[in-house]
Amino acid sequence: MSTSSISSIALPPEQLHEALQRSRRQRATRRWRLFVSTPGRIAASVIIVFFTLMAIIGPYLYPKNLPINPHDIYGAPSLAHPLGTDFEGTDVLALLVTGSRYVLFAAAVAAVITLGIGTLAGLAAGYYPRLAGSAIMRVADFVLAIPGFPVLIVLATIWQFGSPVAMGFVMGVFGWGGIARAVRAQTMSLRERGFIEAARGLGLPGRRIIFAEVLPNIAPYIGMNLMLAVTAFIYTEVGLFFIGVVSYTTSNWGVMLNQAVFQAGAATSTRGLSYLLSPLICILLITISLVTLSGAVDEFFNPRLRRIR
Amino acid sequence: MAGRTGPVLPATTQGTEWQVNLARKLAAKLVTGLIMIWVVATATFFLVLEMPGNPALTVEANDMSHGMSPQQAASATAAMFGFVPKQPLADQYRHYIWQLLHFNLGVSIAQEGTPVSHIVASAAPWTVILAVFGIIFSFLIGVCLGVLTAIRRTTRLADGMTLLGAIINGLPVYLIAILLFYVFTTIWAIFPQGGNVSVLENPGWNAGYIGSIITHAILPVACYTLAGVGAWQLTTKSSVISVLGDDFILAAELRGLRPLTVARYVARNAMLPLFTILAISLGLMFGGAVFIEDVFNYPGLGQLMISSITTKDFPVLDGAFLLIIVAVIAANILADLAYPLIDPRIRSAAGASS
Repeated sequence: MSTSSISSIALPPEQLHEALQRSRRQRATRRWRLFVSTPGRIAASVIIVFFTLMAIIGPYLYPKNLPINPHDIYGAPSLAHPLGTDFEGTDVLALLVTGSRYVLFAAAVAAVITLGIGTLAGLAAGYYPRLAGSAIMRVADFVLAIPGFPVLIVLATIWQFGSPVAMGFVMGVFGWGGIARAVRAQTMSLRERGFIEAARGLGLPGRRIIFAEVLPNIAPYIGMNLMLAVTAFIYTEVGLFFIGVVSYTTSNWGVMLNQAVFQAGAATSTRGLSYLLSPLICILLITISLVTLSGAVDEFFNPRLRRIR
Repeated sequence: MAGRTGPVLPATTQGTEWQVNLARKLAAKLVTGLIMIWVVATATFFLVLEMPGNPALTVEANDMSHGMSPQQAASATAAMFGFVPKQPLADQYRHYIWQLLHFNLGVSIAQEGTPVSHIVASAAPWTVILAVFGIIFSFLIGVCLGVLTAIRRTTRLADGMTLLGAIINGLPVYLIAILLFYVFTTIWAIFPQGGNVSVLENPGWNAGYIGSIITHAILPVACYTLAGVGAWQLTTKSSVISVLGDDFILAAELRGLRPLTVARYVARNAMLPLFTILAISLGLMFGGAVFIEDVFNYPGLGQLMISSITTKDFPVLDGAFLLIIVAVIAANILADLAYPLIDPRIRSAAGASS
């Protein structure tokens, strides 16, 4: 960004604007081609879009209380029940679809909170290393060093954060350390670069430099870290329900796993195979997709990682 | 660390300078660690106050209904929780911290009369055994795989292994635990279904007992190993690749040094970043312990936390929680201290970082 604007500084403003637009468009097309060239990434995007749609639309496709059928317990996959039935005879696919909303919504809330706290803390700590840096980083290190999962278990005993917003909030508050570190490191290295020094030399206020010059340049790193953070959030919330320390009002994937393993004995018999495996496979698919996509983001903005074709 | 570089010192003073810095750093780390433990202990104190139905008051009322005098009930509750519910908050808090300094964590509610420190101390070794072997195996396997992928990094095999490592790294521990449990104890029942040792064996140093411990530990250790191996592999790979690209390796090769010597140079330099994730992996190990011990019904600290929630045994829950936190913080401090001993570059830069 900095080099193109400096080299075309002699152009009149409207032409300069046009040239910048053109180069941006070209870069976007190049990135798009790079993205489409690997089938794995397309598949990963399709999977993420699919699960997002499932979480938004899916629950409307089923009645609020899923029907039970005492004559069809742990039924094998069939036309009526593509993934079989659970210990009450409820359709596993229906459980999976209706349970996806909670999982993804809570992860999204946590992601927003992490993004907010982590980015602001990282930017401030990186841009003002002396004023804010060491204090913020001490808190971030504290958040990072404390094993989050045991903390959440203890918190669950006094505060039933069963609702997706509360769950997302708690996870976000304990989950921003990693992004803050990454953002701080990037900000500190950008801070010494020419175009930031130029902006400082022009007397632009720090707030403007941080949000208009630094932030756009580190956005991809934030995105990459956020994707990895989301996999961790899904893993954590499902884990909390899986070990059964958080009360719930509606079923979700973690509740399914908890009932399958600890209550309905699906893990000690081969009958409930599809019931046990379905939520695990969903988590697996989302994890693989997000890891693949974060690798793609990394490769876009890190030309050194790009393969020579 | 903050981008400041200290004045370049003459070589003679650098040695003592480093030692002074190390001592100062050690002191700072210890103070930070103690503050962190204090913060967590204080938070735990207020958590106990906030717990549903206030367990301390419940126990006191319960004691009184069983015929204790109010005085007796109050002192019994104080012995159990480490603080007396009806005293002013500041007194309760002072009493709690004082008891904590003497490693007195109170008395269990579910197993009446047993000190929490005993319960926690009998659970901790099982967690440590699993976690230590898990770390060792995941480290050895992960580093070997990482070096392999780094050396063969242009091949398809390495691409596949990198993707596999990233995916394994992203997998939830409970997913691994459930799958291993399901495959090896239900579908193909070659391992015992949970527990730490068969009840049929006589405890002691006999082959049957030790063998039983080992067969019970194989699957949980495999879980820890699989959970940690991806991170080691990826870090080793990127670390080895960056060292392989360094000029001094090229120079060593051009000078015709034996490949083994060059490999030693690479290994020494590539090992360094691995220590940063050692501390992180310790924290993750305890997060994973909860799931692994829960799935395999293994009587360690993680399972203790879960079972004490079901039985509403809050003193035990807090004891296990505090021990885990202290262990993780101590591990972090140790890793920070070991770092300058291993890496001379950090040693000389220690003065620059505040």
